[in-house]
Amino acid sequence: MSIPLLIIRRTPQLCAVLVGISIVTFLLLHLAPGDPARLLAGGRASAETIAAIRSQYGLDQPLWSQYLTYFVNLLGGDIGQSLRFQRPVSELISQFMWPTLFFTGYVVMLAVPSTVVLAIASARRPGGATDQVIRIVGVIGLTIPVFWLGIMMSRFFGVALGWFPVSGYGEGFTEHLHHLFLPALSTTIWLVPVLTQSLRAALIEKMTADFVTAARAQGASEREVFWRTTLPNSVLPTLNLLGVMVSFLIGGAIIVETVYEIPGLGSLMVGALLGRDYYVVQGLTLVFAFSTVLITLIVDLLSALIDPRIRF
Amino acid sequence: MRTLSRFRLMEAALVLGVAAFAVAQASAAELIRIVSPYQTTTLDPMRSASAGNIETYGQLYARLLQRSPTTGALEPGLAESWEQSDDGGTYTFHLRDAQFSDGSPITAADVVFSLERIRTDKQSAYPAPLGSVETITAVDMKTVSVKLKSAFAPFLGNLEIWNMGIVSKVDVQKQGAEKAFSSVPVTSGPYAVKKWKPNETLVLQPNAHYWRKGYPKSDAIIELKEVASAETRMAMLKAGEAEVMRDVPWPQINDLKSADNIDMQLEPSTTIYMTLLNHKREPFSNMKARQAAAYAIDVKALTKAITQGYAQPANTTLPDSLGFHDKHHPGIPFDPTKARQLLAESGMEGREVKILATSDAADQQLALLLQAQWQAIGLKPVIVNVDSGAWWDATGKGEYDASATWWYNETPDPDLAVRWALCGSCGSNSFNTFYSNPKVDELVEQGAKESIPQKRSQIYQEIQRITVEEVSQIPLYYAPNAVAYSKRLEGIKLTPSLQWTLEDTTIIK
Repeated sequence: MSIPLLIIRRTPQLCAVLVGISIVTFLLLHLAPGDPARLLAGGRASAETIAAIRSQYGLDQPLWSQYLTYFVNLLGGDIGQSLRFQRPVSELISQFMWPTLFFTGYVVMLAVPSTVVLAIASARRPGGATDQVIRIVGVIGLTIPVFWLGIMMSRFFGVALGWFPVSGYGEGFTEHLHHLFLPALSTTIWLVPVLTQSLRAALIEKMTADFVTAARAQGASEREVFWRTTLPNSVLPTLNLLGVMVSFLIGGAIIVETVYEIPGLGSLMVGALLGRDYYVVQGLTLVFAFSTVLITLIVDLLSALIDPRIRF
Repeated sequence: MRTLSRFRLMEAALVLGVAAFAVAQASAAELIRIVSPYQTTTLDPMRSASAGNIETYGQLYARLLQRSPTTGALEPGLAESWEQSDDGGTYTFHLRDAQFSDGSPITAADVVFSLERIRTDKQSAYPAPLGSVETITAVDMKTVSVKLKSAFAPFLGNLEIWNMGIVSKVDVQKQGAEKAFSSVPVTSGPYAVKKWKPNETLVLQPNAHYWRKGYPKSDAIIELKEVASAETRMAMLKAGEAEVMRDVPWPQINDLKSADNIDMQLEPSTTIYMTLLNHKREPFSNMKARQAAAYAIDVKALTKAITQGYAQPANTTLPDSLGFHDKHHPGIPFDPTKARQLLAESGMEGREVKILATSDAADQQLALLLQAQWQAIGLKPVIVNVDSGAWWDATGKGEYDASATWWYNETPDPDLAVRWALCGSCGSNSFNTFYSNPKVDELVEQGAKESIPQKRSQIYQEIQRITVEEVSQIPLYYAPNAVAYSKRLEGIKLTPSLQWTLEDTTIIK
């Protein structure tokens, strides 16, 4: 099946996902206690003031009617206004999106090469010394809480040694690299062991597969067998896992973004949730859902590229 | 071969990256970066009474009067002079020649417009300071007359409060309030907005048209940054990525005191920490149960445990830095035996007490200590964790029994304080406790009208006596503002009204 056809087939699926998610988040948000008008005006504001603000933003309307208004606007491409800042949600999201995307890309660039190297080193002699060391270090990396590691690295490399900034995103590509290095590293330390485990297992399994033996029998060198046969056949599960992780990072970099004060989608989400900024939360949820679907699509396309047997 | 070239590529990338990092160290123009957990959510001075916004308004909008950063005394602001009519019922303000940040003149019409918005707009967050006003009129371009319903002792002080900033009538009417304040508003104060990235940073630059010539003293750019995590704020201060850290947690004070280049300050404030009790439902609708709850708490030990001794144990329901605070009141002593006895008399033994706590570290500790001490006298306290949105929701509706929290007063005069925290008929439900004593409400009105200080003093002491005895709330401690500064800054502080003295700040080269 061709790529356009795949995209056409995925589109209704995407729409259904987005509508479902928008309804669920809408209900969860509006039914949870807390009032954006109160948080906006502050504790001293009287009940009348709060009521006036609620009515200005239509928050006094019945829920179904609020959702309907929201949905109609959504169809017209308008994802709403921030209740806190009186700015379009799309403007806020596009402003906070880049640090998160850069961060995610950075993590992938750090994690993928190290995963491949470590998994190959491990799988070469399963149970050998290298394998054991990598596995133990991996378990340590996996069990250290990201926020703790983040704080410790920021204290040591940022405050004590002064090598890296402890906050922000900087201006320009090189500053982004500099500012996001510690956050990306602390995430990579947790991500690499997960991916390595998956790739290592697949490599070991595929090394004894029939088609590998067949390749050897045809006279291919060990190097050729590995790069042409074993590795391509082993990366698929890890690629899928990476896809899941990347979607997770885009929506879930909240902890790292808080510790290193990165102005990304995670910190926007936290602020919006605490401030009950309904439409910002809604908009972000849609973006997260959309990016997850998109990444799944990309992973599927890559899988097809790597393994031509895969059909959608 | 292919592997080899790949490694080469990675090596090259690494070298490039390290080189890039070295370049990135170049420094920019003079900056004063303030990191605070309190957010700026609106630039419209009428719209919010939340901590972050209050601090911002003071930098953007000048008021008729202002306070001296050193003595705290009231000084002329946009009003050059003023006089009071003989009956005390009318004030006339004479405006100085001043301009907004766009160069247009600040006239009496702007003053009337700004104050009327605060007083009468339905969405005004805090009209109480102008509650005594009958009419505000522009006599001519430079003269404003304010007629009061009756003489009101603290009136001048109230004109200095954070929401009393003067905004441009022309601009707000032309663009509409929402648009006028959504990104770069026309300002009258020491600073103008350079760039606002909501949820992240507000960047300010000196307002070239500010009426005080030579101010701000430094031409530094100000960045107000929202940093929720105290750990991160501290790292930023220590690493030189911030010059001012708001809200230093108590346990970190000693650490910052010993740090080089950091000036750790405990600044006088009007903040009082206390425990709200819900008078709307049992057990605390019962006065003896409230008294029992108060006698059960060892306020001195609790203050020491939580604030490392940096705060003063509270003795009355009013902040100790306010005028007419009763310093000689003995407070409620720690007496568990009496507490148990009072609880038995109230018939509320074994009742469940729902303690609300937000995720703030001090809040969590306070909730745990309250729980332990109330458990000891025979109540059944349960801690319910909420975020601030849910907290305001629950306390506003009276769906809780107790919660330790804080409030502060924007002026040294106690009028607004008692209206906020102790008055049942002033629209605040006595800070969501639903405490209501008609005698106290009457005293509140008397205190505002009385102009002889000695008599006012008696009135406010009486209010404190009654509310402590009836345990309207349980006073805990008077907390200073813990703020840490870079030693390069001079003349900066956070005043008790929560205003930064940025216009008086200079940077040592």
